[in-house]
Amino acid sequence: MKYDAIVIGGGHNGLTCAAYLARAGRKVLVLERRHVVGGAAVTEEVFPGFQFSVCSYVVSLLRPEIIRELDLPRHGMELLPLDGTMTPMPNGDYLWRVNDHDQTRRDIARHSRLDAEAYDEYGKAMVEMGRFAKPIMGMLPPDPTSLDPRGLLELLGMGKRFRDMRFHDKVNQVQLLTMSAVDFLDQWFETDVLKATMSASGIIGTFLGVRSPGTAYVLLHHYMGEIDGAFRSWGLSRGGTGAVSNAIAAAAVEFGAEIRTNAPVAQILSKNGRATGVALANGDEIHASVVVSSVDPNLTFLKFMNERDLPSDFVDAVKRYKYRGSSGKVNLALDALPNFTCLPGAGPHLRGAISISPSIDYMERAYDDAKYGKFSSRPYMDMVIPSLTDPSVAPAGKHVMSCFVQYAPYHLKDGVWDDARREAFGDAVIDTIAEYAPNIKDIILHRQVLTPLDIEREFGLTEGNIFQGELTLEQLFFLRPVPGYAQYATPVERLYMCGSATHPGGGIMGAPGRNAATRILKDGRR
Amino acid sequence: MTPTLSGQSRYDAIVIGGGVNGLTCAALLGKAGIRTLLVEQRDEVGGCAAESEIAPGFRAPTLAHATGPVRRDVVEHLQLYLHGLTFLDTAIEVSSLSPDGRALTLWNDPRKTAEGLAAWSTKDAQAWPAFHQSLGRLGGLIGFLFQSAPPSIDTPHARDLFSLMHTLSAFRGLPKADQWRLLRWGPMAVADLVSESVETELLRATLAADGIFGAMLGPWSAGSGLQMLLAAANRSLAWPGGQVVAGGPVAFARALRGAAERHGVEIRTGSAVARIDVTDDCACGVTLASGEQIAARAVVSGVDPKRTFLTLCEADHLPPEFSWRISHYRSRGTLAKVNFALSALPSFTGATREMLAGRIRLAPDLDYLERAFDHAKYGRYSSHPWIEFTIPSLDNPSLASDGAHVLSAYAQFAPYQLRDTSWDAEREPLGDIVTATLDQYSPGFSSSVVGRQVLTPLDLERGWGLTGGQIFHGELSLDQFFTMRPLLGFGDHRTPIRGLFLCSSGAHPGTGLTGGSGANAAAVVARELA
Repeated sequence: MKYDAIVIGGGHNGLTCAAYLARAGRKVLVLERRHVVGGAAVTEEVFPGFQFSVCSYVVSLLRPEIIRELDLPRHGMELLPLDGTMTPMPNGDYLWRVNDHDQTRRDIARHSRLDAEAYDEYGKAMVEMGRFAKPIMGMLPPDPTSLDPRGLLELLGMGKRFRDMRFHDKVNQVQLLTMSAVDFLDQWFETDVLKATMSASGIIGTFLGVRSPGTAYVLLHHYMGEIDGAFRSWGLSRGGTGAVSNAIAAAAVEFGAEIRTNAPVAQILSKNGRATGVALANGDEIHASVVVSSVDPNLTFLKFMNERDLPSDFVDAVKRYKYRGSSGKVNLALDALPNFTCLPGAGPHLRGAISISPSIDYMERAYDDAKYGKFSSRPYMDMVIPSLTDPSVAPAGKHVMSCFVQYAPYHLKDGVWDDARREAFGDAVIDTIAEYAPNIKDIILHRQVLTPLDIEREFGLTEGNIFQGELTLEQLFFLRPVPGYAQYATPVERLYMCGSATHPGGGIMGAPGRNAATRILKDGRR
Repeated sequence: MTPTLSGQSRYDAIVIGGGVNGLTCAALLGKAGIRTLLVEQRDEVGGCAAESEIAPGFRAPTLAHATGPVRRDVVEHLQLYLHGLTFLDTAIEVSSLSPDGRALTLWNDPRKTAEGLAAWSTKDAQAWPAFHQSLGRLGGLIGFLFQSAPPSIDTPHARDLFSLMHTLSAFRGLPKADQWRLLRWGPMAVADLVSESVETELLRATLAADGIFGAMLGPWSAGSGLQMLLAAANRSLAWPGGQVVAGGPVAFARALRGAAERHGVEIRTGSAVARIDVTDDCACGVTLASGEQIAARAVVSGVDPKRTFLTLCEADHLPPEFSWRISHYRSRGTLAKVNFALSALPSFTGATREMLAGRIRLAPDLDYLERAFDHAKYGRYSSHPWIEFTIPSLDNPSLASDGAHVLSAYAQFAPYQLRDTSWDAEREPLGDIVTATLDQYSPGFSSSVVGRQVLTPLDLERGWGLTGGQIFHGELSLDQFFTMRPLLGFGDHRTPIRGLFLCSSGAHPGTGLTGGSGANAAAVVARELA
């Protein structure tokens, strides 16, 4: 049986790519190693009765055109708003930003009147920036070293759009792309906790600190997070993030794609520099005119292929590509709700994100630990309690809590991640939460701790990097994943990439999968 | 647009500040027939290129102990060799000492460097010539952009487009791998950059130091790769006769002064400027601290952008957005300078006499540099700073009496803003730390110290007018270079005030004592006044 296209990996990008290819009439097969599709966007019943978005836990950047074109709501996807971010502080105070602008302003004003005013200005500026950046998400990044005039024109087009912006926006745009999150925010705000919480988004998934240049641009992501077209909203998916993957999978199947789980790929078959299909771990060979890999470049090129079949400078570049997972995940099954000292009791503050980022120094100290090969003794955390918004994920009266934790470096200086270190890491996380919500230790029924090594083993993400490679400036846009191969194609004819390791990168965005499908269809491969 | 000013004034241009860039700019304006006055607040011109008595009988380069590579066009156009500028024929670029007593030298000849590296790593010895060459090529390309004012973004001049095309074709002329390197290396962390190129930790640290010198960045901070590329760019424009000025930076300043005077520039020292005078949105002269007003058709500021706009200009002459942006222009000094008067030539384990006559770095590995930076993040100075030192008395025996020597040390990180204490209280403790660090590499060093001068970033600000004690007049970061130096749209030495220009290191290209910013500004000002 021959397919038009085989997609390796059933993560949300692989599924998205498959859906678009199938929609265009291609005969598509998706091969997933695990028993469920979704990749890192997966819901699993880790403990009986408790459903966890095991890895990726919020939806924000999923492209509205994908939701529309694949008709995801009809396939069961429902996004529930995640209202705001609450940051508890060690002194018993808190910072609480919500989607209601006036309420946020009032809370910021408690900390600084000037900042409350600046918050308006800042918001307006960021919306402008978002408008500029948005089209870039859907672009096939042009190759600046190519003599192809089309690429040059695209770059010039970007240049012209840039030129036409107001001075204020131009400066902001350049700064966003180059500055550190803290330096950028310093221009507007004086409140430490506000800057710390906002800058935290700039370091997620990277091995950088909030003061490192190049972390500012991620601030924009929050303003591009569109759900059903509404600017700036972040959301949970009913039934966990796996429900998003399932909806995309359902759309793909409806378009005629075939999905096979428990089907690990062992090898990408190629002949004379042209991909011809894949060999599964069980020895089966499946042929197709096009192979699309949604897994990272390390697996695609160094594991599934023979280095000798690839140009050596390409192999060097693939080896240089940086993963360096820096985060872990702790999933808790809770008997009751955590009780925060700063805002006691159950309340709307628990329905949004809870950020452990009390000061810039705190963020920097967390980073310092990681730089020298240790997990942060007091890490930065982004936590959500999805069961408050979507009670279906936990037994009545009980809750699930998802804690994204940074920094947890993949490479430890004093050894490798093992059971003892995993538990020590889990303890550090719980101890940290307990400083703000002292009842946490009494209400934990079960705890799942995922280290970067666990994430690598379980989800096939090299070095546990949640974005399939760091989102740093030298690995973005036309440099992602490697110079010269940013347009979803590879040195191997008919082999394409469509994962988060390609432009525009990670998050439950779907853009890489959709862009790759566009490219493949443009090439007219059948 | 040409500034419309009364033709009565005695001067066409007034240059504020007699540092290397101010002198270069003034001299070139003078050469172009522009009647130029240079005013300097200190009693001597030279700015950071100064020499002074640090202890009875001992003289040392007060601040900078090396010039940036002096720009070839500056030497040529001003014929500085007529004013006593000579260069030493040195073979060593920089050396690095290891705490275990071994040493590593980067020679100007990459083959010689590779030979030495063989003792550390065969792989590095093999990789070095290609890395060196690549860096040279990238430096050459960026260097091209260093030679004139950056293009205007809104209204590019035909000249700008021509130079842009030229640069583009030069970029395309690079080997493909280098094209990609240029795009990748700038935004990278210098530690990543060097780690993917070489494996010897001492070599990595030696190279990475170029990326963080004077900056509020650690080697693992993204964007530190840029400064390393800028340093390479400077080298590509250097006077071919040698990179080390005989007699030290002060000799460069003296030659510039000579050239300026030859071209009719009037120099007034001991004259601090209190205000830049503006009428009808146009700079028309300066008011000195003494109250004296001097009129001119153009004012060229050789002091840093923050001081220029926030202290010397009145706020109502600047657009509020511009003032706001300039107030956030980053100039956080991190470098301290310690000058030692020594009773004898110190011996450093592993260092030959030839190495001691050049620049020597003390930083064993990347983590050491990063840890030194960690302190700065929390408003403290490094307990184990990284150091670059020279012993200028080896080449210039007149600096100390027979047998005695002076040692000049840069120490980083010493952040301008200390937490919970002040530099007036911490000056000597910092000096002790630097002494102790040198002692580790040169046992007995401290017992030969007969005098010591410690200059903190606060001292650089107080004594030399460097805002925040930032030696480059503002950090050299991705968002503060080229068309963005000091601010996007004002990279061409012009300012929102007509007739006011920037010629300091806070303007493009702004990297060290090369004369580059002054020369580029002079071209713009001369065109404007023509």
